[in-house]
Amino acid sequence: MTALEELRAEPQQAEELARAWKNRPGPLGWISVTTHQELGMRYIVTAFIFLLLGGIEALMMRIQLASAENTFLNPARYNQIFTVHGTTMMFLFAVPVMEGMGVYLVPLMIGTRNVAFPRLNAFGYWIYLAGGLLLYAAAFTNTMPDAGWFAYSPLSGPQFSPGKGVDVWAQMITFTEISALCVAVELIVTILRLRAPGMTLNRLPMFCWAMLVQSFMIIFAMPAVMIASTIFLLNDRTIGTHFVNPAEGGDPLLYQHVFWFFGHPEVYIIFIPALGMASSIIEAFSRRPVIGYPALVLSLVANGFIAFGLWVHHMFATGLPQIGEAYFTAASMMIAVTSGVQIFCWLATLWSGRLQPTAGLHFIFGFLFIFVMGGLTGVMLASIPLDLQAHDTFFVVAHFHYVLIGGTLFPLFGAFHYWFPKFTGRMIDQKLGKITFWLLFIGFNCTFFPMHILGLHGMPRRVYTYVPEMGWGPANLLATIGAFIIAAGGICFIANVLKSRRFGTKADPNPWDAGTLEWSTSSPAQAYGFIHLPVVASRYPLWDQEKSKDIVTGLRNDRREVLVTTVLDAEPDHRLVLPGNSIWPFLTAVGFSIGLYYSVFAFSGYWIATALGMIGIIGWFWPRQPLDIRP
Amino acid sequence: MSEPRVLDVSGLLPYRISNKSPLWLGQLLMCVIEGSLLCLLIATYFYVRLSVDVWPPPGVRLPSVMLPTVALIPLLASCIGSYLASEAAKRDDRRGMLVGMISNLVLGGIFLALRGIEWRGLNFTWSSDIHGSIVWTILFLHTYDMVADLLFTLVLIIIVASGHYGQKQRLGVHVDTVAWYFLVLIWLPLYGVLYWGPRALGAK
Repeated sequence: MTALEELRAEPQQAEELARAWKNRPGPLGWISVTTHQELGMRYIVTAFIFLLLGGIEALMMRIQLASAENTFLNPARYNQIFTVHGTTMMFLFAVPVMEGMGVYLVPLMIGTRNVAFPRLNAFGYWIYLAGGLLLYAAAFTNTMPDAGWFAYSPLSGPQFSPGKGVDVWAQMITFTEISALCVAVELIVTILRLRAPGMTLNRLPMFCWAMLVQSFMIIFAMPAVMIASTIFLLNDRTIGTHFVNPAEGGDPLLYQHVFWFFGHPEVYIIFIPALGMASSIIEAFSRRPVIGYPALVLSLVANGFIAFGLWVHHMFATGLPQIGEAYFTAASMMIAVTSGVQIFCWLATLWSGRLQPTAGLHFIFGFLFIFVMGGLTGVMLASIPLDLQAHDTFFVVAHFHYVLIGGTLFPLFGAFHYWFPKFTGRMIDQKLGKITFWLLFIGFNCTFFPMHILGLHGMPRRVYTYVPEMGWGPANLLATIGAFIIAAGGICFIANVLKSRRFGTKADPNPWDAGTLEWSTSSPAQAYGFIHLPVVASRYPLWDQEKSKDIVTGLRNDRREVLVTTVLDAEPDHRLVLPGNSIWPFLTAVGFSIGLYYSVFAFSGYWIATALGMIGIIGWFWPRQPLDIRP
Repeated sequence: MSEPRVLDVSGLLPYRISNKSPLWLGQLLMCVIEGSLLCLLIATYFYVRLSVDVWPPPGVRLPSVMLPTVALIPLLASCIGSYLASEAAKRDDRRGMLVGMISNLVLGGIFLALRGIEWRGLNFTWSSDIHGSIVWTILFLHTYDMVADLLFTLVLIIIVASGHYGQKQRLGVHVDTVAWYFLVLIWLPLYGVLYWGPRALGAK
């Protein structure tokens, strides 16, 4: 068939594809889903619910600190709330929401129909959900962990933290790590092997580069936290190993080393996807290719490497040898170089572009402003003398909220406003979006800027109150007011999403006139993504119109078939039939979770997890008809 | 505007049983995850070793070198079984797959049996002291991985023996060997650290 005949036959082919990619109705069908948009959206929605819970916890802390000697929360409850807040935000919101965006967008951006391992994707989601439920089940049955989000021993050890709170915390980490590792593996393979023909690595969209770097970081960083939380902490607590018990030769500092070997890369795992989002949004709304594509990619990769050489800067106050600490100061300052390169590339792009002042772009400007400020305090904290003074004060709290909220949440909100038409098929209300932005931006600075000053005046973090004589009252009150402005921004955002989803104007496939492939699919994207997989000849196929018309033919439409291409040059290699929907990932996750839940109480839980997980996996991989894959 | 062109891929194979399959890459990445876990445990071993003066602690016998060294023979030989199975999977040779996988299973089983015997001779547990904790953790995790892999090999043997298989299962046989090679290869540094490391550093 010639291309024109193919294109004329599209309506009929779309029907055929829709049949092959249809999800079965009913609850059984719902838990069997393996398509990436559906699962990506579940990740995103679930993560936003946890954001809401974490936000409520933050408000409770701010109410408690609004005035001196307040009694809204008692000291024990305050410890629990800040622990659950930090844990929720890091493990149940920030990482999963980035994974969700990646799962949703990457296949569309690289021109394929699904991720490489759809069932693994489903398994990852269910395991993540199970981990979140574990933490909040514990929270609502009053067994909340209370040793902080990094649970240092000896505080978190059996002697000082009796009860099951810390065990729940430690095993909850395992759930979210397994989930993150599943997504990392499948995204790496998807990006390296399922790209549209012609999309050499040199033409990969920036967001996909970011997800690739982030996924590799997950693979090397996440095993460390499993070692810290389950092998060291949980085993010390349940079966009497001695990793962090100094009486038997163990070392609490060992826990800190291994935890931060994960913990520092974790921060970049969260914010590198956000950098990719920023690049995508900036190029779309300044109507030009991003300036310095190679520099941006190399900076991302360099960030990924340097991130693994920074962990000791969380431990400057532990009395490690100074010569070693000096190295980590230098490495920490090096991050400012790679981050600076990216900032300048973006500024140059914005400067020379024709800006569309959309809500999405507002969030990017907010990101640039806040993130640069957070970066500057980061450079300050990298210096050991200053760090020793500011350690465990509100200065640190201010710093990491500036980099995490500024560096992650603002680009994420920008991304949500930018890709909303693709998610829902409708335009998001720009006016409400801009109001959301201003509320968040003003509220954020009101809340966290005073914390710099409080920290420099010596207010320690993680204390539930202070005496009036310290003079910290006014700044704390301002921060609390700011927190409520942020909450108003959150409500405005939710209202906007709910309203625009139903009543927003219908969106074209490419409402922003952007250049990357996801905008060539219908809005909202169908489960199969593209009727014809595209052939790509440039970095911005939709901006180079005549080239973008080239298409792939010869894939079968009556089954879930995708094209596998080579790693570097994306030359067609073979066709691949992806597995369809299946209930087994769900069942496997359930079985596995039952065992892991029980392991909070006894080591034998692992045997249950193994047995049930094994049964699940055998069911998952059991051969099904048709056994033969016919051409 | 020029006429759009088409890239016809209908002539390409609808599957591939080789290292070019995405599943192979996925399996490799899973091995990298497990590898970073075990490498961090090696780092942990030396970290705790350096933070105490006497290693192993008084009264604790170092694990003997003899048995684990003998056990290397069936372990390394089992890779031949894996290799035969994966080559047979590429050719769709049912008998070859079975011979390869069964010899892999038997030799792997012998290795695990020897390890079981070794464990009975250890005079410390994970809860006696830090030395016991780290040695047992490394041994346990590696054994757990091996048992899991052998169980899945057993499942594959049953599937292939029943004749109820297609290209996907053959690909499964092929990538299963990647996991086994990994478990054998990663054991070599672990073996060196656990059995020769302390002796090289002067312990008896």
